[in-house]
Amino acid sequence: MQPSYKASYQEGLTTLAAIENSAESRADFESLMRQHQAMVFSVAYHFLADRSLAEEVAQDVFLSLYRNLDAMKSAAHTTSWLRRVAVQRSIDEARKRKRRPQASLEDTVEPATPAASLDMLRSDVLRNDALWRMVAALPEIPRMVVILRYQEDLSPAEIAAALDRPVATVKSDLQRALALLREKSARRFGDTL
Amino acid sequence: MKRALLLLGMAVLAPVVPLSAQIQIGLDQLASKAKETVDITLDGAMLQMAGKFFSGGKSDDSKAKNLLANLKAISVKNFEFAQEGQYRQEDLDPIRAQLKAPGWSKILGDRSDKETSEIFTKSDGTRITGFAILAAEPKELTVVYIEGAIDLADLAQLGGRFGIPPGVVPDGKGKRNKDKTKGDQ
Amino acid sequence: MSNFEDQLRAALQRQEPPRGFADRVLERTGRESADRLAPARRPRRMWAPVWGQLWWGPLWRIGAIAATLTVVSFSVTTYQHTREERAARQAELALRIAAEKLNLARDHVLRNLALPKDN
Repeated sequence: MQPSYKASYQEGLTTLAAIENSAESRADFESLMRQHQAMVFSVAYHFLADRSLAEEVAQDVFLSLYRNLDAMKSAAHTTSWLRRVAVQRSIDEARKRKRRPQASLEDTVEPATPAASLDMLRSDVLRNDALWRMVAALPEIPRMVVILRYQEDLSPAEIAAALDRPVATVKSDLQRALALLREKSARRFGDTL
Repeated sequence: MKRALLLLGMAVLAPVVPLSAQIQIGLDQLASKAKETVDITLDGAMLQMAGKFFSGGKSDDSKAKNLLANLKAISVKNFEFAQEGQYRQEDLDPIRAQLKAPGWSKILGDRSDKETSEIFTKSDGTRITGFAILAAEPKELTVVYIEGAIDLADLAQLGGRFGIPPGVVPDGKGKRNKDKTKGDQ
Repeated sequence: MSNFEDQLRAALQRQEPPRGFADRVLERTGRESADRLAPARRPRRMWAPVWGQLWWGPLWRIGAIAATLTVVSFSVTTYQHTREERAARQAELALRIAAEKLNLARDHVLRNLALPKDN
């Protein structure tokens, strides 16, 4: 027996509603992604020091957001959720690829930079690049602590939550990492900072 | 995800929007008894959206768009029941009472053994500005309310697809068509 | 905050991802959406058995909507288009019911007119 025209319409309208809900979710998602893409990508990039790898990680993070969109309770929750997932995925990626062996802070050797005059080294762009590379040379956890502190301006408590570590440990990591970075920077640039 | 996160400011399409100063159909209690229910309420904004969809590429689409363009609201409630006796004529009395308001006239009231059809129009003196149908059948109850400058002749011209042969207009205008075609039901 | 920390902050400034990043993500999510909505998709003949008419807008529009699920970017435009189509289909159904009941009333009147009059 053929369905009534009304039943056919209702079926079609249900389908359209499903499509519409999906489209609406995707519109929401697209907006969130554009709002947070720099943060997520930068966490991965500064940590992994590899743009294509960082993009892979960032894509995975947003795919995860897309799947969990309904679980986002607020704008703040979404931000902290994205940050936490970006941190975890970046660390997982680094461990998977064994990009850096675990080493103590004192043993860390910063990667070589192209030879340049002292004046050039002091230029902001090269200094920033060199500083970042020093950060990228840090062991994983201190590296991420520094990134979350100075890229994201997070407090030690917020960093501890993102890394699931005690606050005191985070503070200690931060202190030691800063001391090492200052020392390396002073050696490289001859500054007294 | 909470709607607070809708950064684009897109509101969810609400299927039912309260229409102030319109005919309130009610009858919600019948939905639980019906095997099939159609409940449509479209306000001006949604009718505009509908009109956009009919882009006017085909002549019939442009007729639909023109028909919708002058409408301010459409409300339809249609209940199909598995058995007779699931509603009473008295259930329609609150609607009939509203259709006695100034400007409204009953232009058709037909009662047979088991069916009643009542058609009402609202006029501003020169043209129809509202239209209502109460159709009570043994296993089906329908209330239609259309607000706006509806031309019943235009509605009739969409016939053949709506089950109305062209030219038949309930208020007596236009030609009567002896074609018994009931349309694609 | 010390000068060195300011420099660290400058060195670790956020950077935008490579061009096209958003589109690539949307493409991946689009594929997921298409799979998720597969059970909800209906063939275009959903409208056809009853209508067989073109007045209700090209039936391909439903197919086109479904097809966009597999397209790279599912933009705000698609959402808006779907809202418009849903409003249009609701309006169609409402007008169809209205016309059907007008026809019903007409039939009643004609039937009564055909009855022999009592004198």
